[in-house]
Amino acid sequence: MRETAMQRQKTSSWLNIGSNFNTMTWVLIPVAIAINIAIGQIVVLLKLPVFLDSIGTVLVAALCGPWAGAVTGALSNTIWGLAIDPNALPWWPVAFFIGLVAGLCANAGLFKSWWKVVVTGFLVALTAATISTPIAVYLYGGITASGSSFITAYLLQTGQGVLQAVFSTSFLVEPVDKITTCMLAFAIVQGLSKRFVARFPRPENVEAEGGANQTQLYIAVGVVVLLVLFAAFMLRNVLGG
Amino acid sequence: MHERLSFYIKRDSALHHLNPLTKLTLVFGLVLISFLSPWYWTPHTLLMLVIIPLSFIGKVNREFFRAFLRLILPAASFLFLMQAFFQPIGGHVIFKIWFLDITQESLMFAFRNAIRIIVMVSSFTLFLLTTHPSELMSDLTRRGLPGQFAYVIISTLQILPQMQAKAQTIISAQRSRGLDTQSSFFRRVGSLGPLVGPLVFGSLVEVEERAIAIEARGFTSTHTKTSLYDIPDTNLDRTIRWILIALVILVIALKIWLS
Amino acid sequence: MNLQNVTYKYPLTETPALQNISLQVNDGEFVAIIGPNGAGKSTLCYTLAGFVPHFFKGELTGLVEVAGIESHNSSLSEWVLNVGLAFQNPFNQISGAKYTVFEELAFGLENIGIPREEMKTRVEDAMKLTGISDLAERSPYSLSGGQQQRVALTSILVMQPKVLVLDEPTSQMDPIGTREVFGVIRRMAERGMTVILVEHKVEWIAQFADRVIALKDGQIFLDGTPSEVLTSPLLQENGFGISRYTSVARKAIEMGLWKKDRLPITLDEAVEGFSLLNTDETSS
Repeated sequence: MRETAMQRQKTSSWLNIGSNFNTMTWVLIPVAIAINIAIGQIVVLLKLPVFLDSIGTVLVAALCGPWAGAVTGALSNTIWGLAIDPNALPWWPVAFFIGLVAGLCANAGLFKSWWKVVVTGFLVALTAATISTPIAVYLYGGITASGSSFITAYLLQTGQGVLQAVFSTSFLVEPVDKITTCMLAFAIVQGLSKRFVARFPRPENVEAEGGANQTQLYIAVGVVVLLVLFAAFMLRNVLGG
Repeated sequence: MHERLSFYIKRDSALHHLNPLTKLTLVFGLVLISFLSPWYWTPHTLLMLVIIPLSFIGKVNREFFRAFLRLILPAASFLFLMQAFFQPIGGHVIFKIWFLDITQESLMFAFRNAIRIIVMVSSFTLFLLTTHPSELMSDLTRRGLPGQFAYVIISTLQILPQMQAKAQTIISAQRSRGLDTQSSFFRRVGSLGPLVGPLVFGSLVEVEERAIAIEARGFTSTHTKTSLYDIPDTNLDRTIRWILIALVILVIALKIWLS
Repeated sequence: MNLQNVTYKYPLTETPALQNISLQVNDGEFVAIIGPNGAGKSTLCYTLAGFVPHFFKGELTGLVEVAGIESHNSSLSEWVLNVGLAFQNPFNQISGAKYTVFEELAFGLENIGIPREEMKTRVEDAMKLTGISDLAERSPYSLSGGQQQRVALTSILVMQPKVLVLDEPTSQMDPIGTREVFGVIRRMAERGMTVILVEHKVEWIAQFADRVIALKDGQIFLDGTPSEVLTSPLLQENGFGISRYTSVARKAIEMGLWKKDRLPITLDEAVEGFSLLNTDETSS
C-alpha cells in the first residue's frame, strides 16, 4: 500500500493514538496484563522487596506505543484491584502514566540499549513517584496500605510536609523497581524473534543498537547497584539525621 | 477448576435483571457520593443502608460476605491502623503507643477513609457478583464502546487463570529442582529468571496465531457490529440511573455550598 | 483460484518463501498440498487466504486471485468473507472473547454485522454439520484438542466462505481427534466446497483428494491426481513421505511379485493388488 509523506508523518506523531493499535496489540494486551499479574504474584511469593508488576505494561509500551502501554497499565491495575487486592484500585493513573512515559521514551529511542533502558526506567520511576504522591495524599492522607508507608510516617513525625514526605518515600522506593522492570522488559524483547517483533506497530523502538551486549549489561547493572546504594545512603541520612 | 476469572454468580434476582450500565452507574454513584459528601457519616450509612441490603436483594449475600471477610475487611483494617497510628492530626490525644500519639481526630479520619474504601470495593464486588462480564461488554459495545476493548477485557479474564495455572506448574517444577522460597536473597533473585522466562515466552508465542485467528473472523472488519444477545434496558433502569445522577449532582452542590 | 508467477518474501528475509508459483484451482476441487518442512506450505496457505501480504507485509509479486478477489486491490476484510483459514494449533484459534462455544461461533458473525436471527440459524446449522451441537454451552477452553479444532473449523464455516484453506489441521490431534476433523473436512468437500488442505497423512489424502500438489523450497514440484503424484519415484528422492501401501508395494515390485500396472496409494488398492500375488492371473 502506498503511503504519502504526510501519512507517514502523521503516524509517527505520538499523539496519534490509533497508530498504537493493530490486531497484534489487541491480542498482546491481555497477555501482558496476565504477565503483570503473574509476575507480581511470583515476586510476592519470593518475598523480594520490589513490585515488578509492570513488566507487561512496559513491554506493550515499547512494542506498540505510549497509548497502548497506558491502556495496558490502567486495565492491569483495575483487574488486580478487583480480583486480588482492592487497595490497588485508586492507583490506576500511576499505571496509566507508567505505560505512557515508557512508550514515549521508547518512541524517543530510549529502548535500544541497556543503559538507555536504565534511563527509561529512571524516568518511569520519577513519573510513578510524581503521580502516586497526590493520590496517596488526597485519598489516604499520605499513609497507604504499603510497607513503605512506615518510611513516610517517620518522615512525617520529623515534621516534613505531607507531599514532601510521600514523594521522598516514593523516590527512594521506585527507581529500583522500575529500572529492574524496564531491564527485564528489554531482556524479553531481545529474546523475541525479529519476525515476531516486526508485526507490532513500533518494532523500530526495540532494534538493538550495538549496546545490547554483555558489557553494556554489566554497566547497566552496575548503575543500578550504585543507585541502590545511593538510595540506602540517603535513607539512612534522612532517617538517622 | 476455574476456567475463567469471574465473580459472577448466576441467580434470579432483581439486581441480576437490571441492565449492566445501571449497575455500573450505581457503583460510581455510591463511590462519588461517599467520597464527596460533606456529611461525615455518609460512607457508613451507604454501607449499612444501601450496599448490605442490596446484597440480600441480589441473593448473593453469602458470597458477598465471604468476599468481604476475606478480601475487603483485612485490606481496610490495615489501612485503618496505618492511618490511625501514623496520621498526625489534631491534638486530642487519647492514648500513646511507644512513640506514637493516637488522637481522636486521627481515629475519626482513619475510620471514615477506611469505610470509604470499603464502600468502593464492596459496591464493585456486588456489581461483579451480579453481572456477567459478557453481558456487561455486550451492553457497553452496543452503546459505543469499541469492540476491541470488550475483547481485551474478556480475553484477559480468561487468560489470567490459565497464566496462573501455568505459573503454578512452573513453580512446582522449579521446586522439585530445588527452588526454595526461604533461601538467601540472591538465590531468590536468581530464581526469578527460570520462573519468569518460560512463563513469558510461552505466552507470547501464542500472540501471533491468535491475532491471525481473530482477523480471520473479521476482528478488524469495519461493519457495524451486531450482538448475539439482546440486553434489555427498561424504564426502571433509566429511572434509577437518572436518580443516581441527580443525587451525585446534589451532593456536589452541597459540598460546594457548604465549603 | 488463479495464481501466476507468484513470488513472496517475508519482511527482513533474503530468500523468498514462495518462488514463481503458478497454479489454477477450479470451484469444488479438493486439493491437497504436501511437502517437507520449510517448503512454503504455510506461506502458500496464507497467500490463498489473503494474509500474505495484508497481514504479513513483505514483498509479493505476481497475480493472486482467489474467489474473485485480487490480492493487490483488496483489503483483508474482503478476504476473510470469502476464504476461511484454519491451522494447526486449536488452542490458539480460540478467540478468548467468549465464554461458550455457541458465542464463540457467533463471534465472527457479530464482527461482520450479521443480524441476530440469521446468526443463530447459521450457528445452529454449522454445528449440526460438524457434529458439535452437544458442545454448545461448554466453555471452549474445557474441550479436548479434537473438539477445539472442530470448533475452530465450525467458526470458519459459519462465515460461509467460498474456499476453505486448512494448514495441517490434524498435526496436533490424537487419532480420535484426527478422525473427527477429517470427517468434517470430507463432508465439506462432498458438499462442493473448494478445499485446500496441507497434510502429512498421505493415506487419507490418497483416498479423498482430487488433486495433490507437492511443494519444495517454495516451488511447485508435482501437480496431478493422487495416484500420479503419490506414486512418483521423485517423492522419495526428495524427502517426501509416501504411504505405507506404496512403499510395501514397491518392495513387491523389486521382488518381481507385483502384478498390477500401478502402485497402490490406498488400503483398498493395496488389498486388491496383493490379493493377486499368489495367483497366476494378471490384471491391469
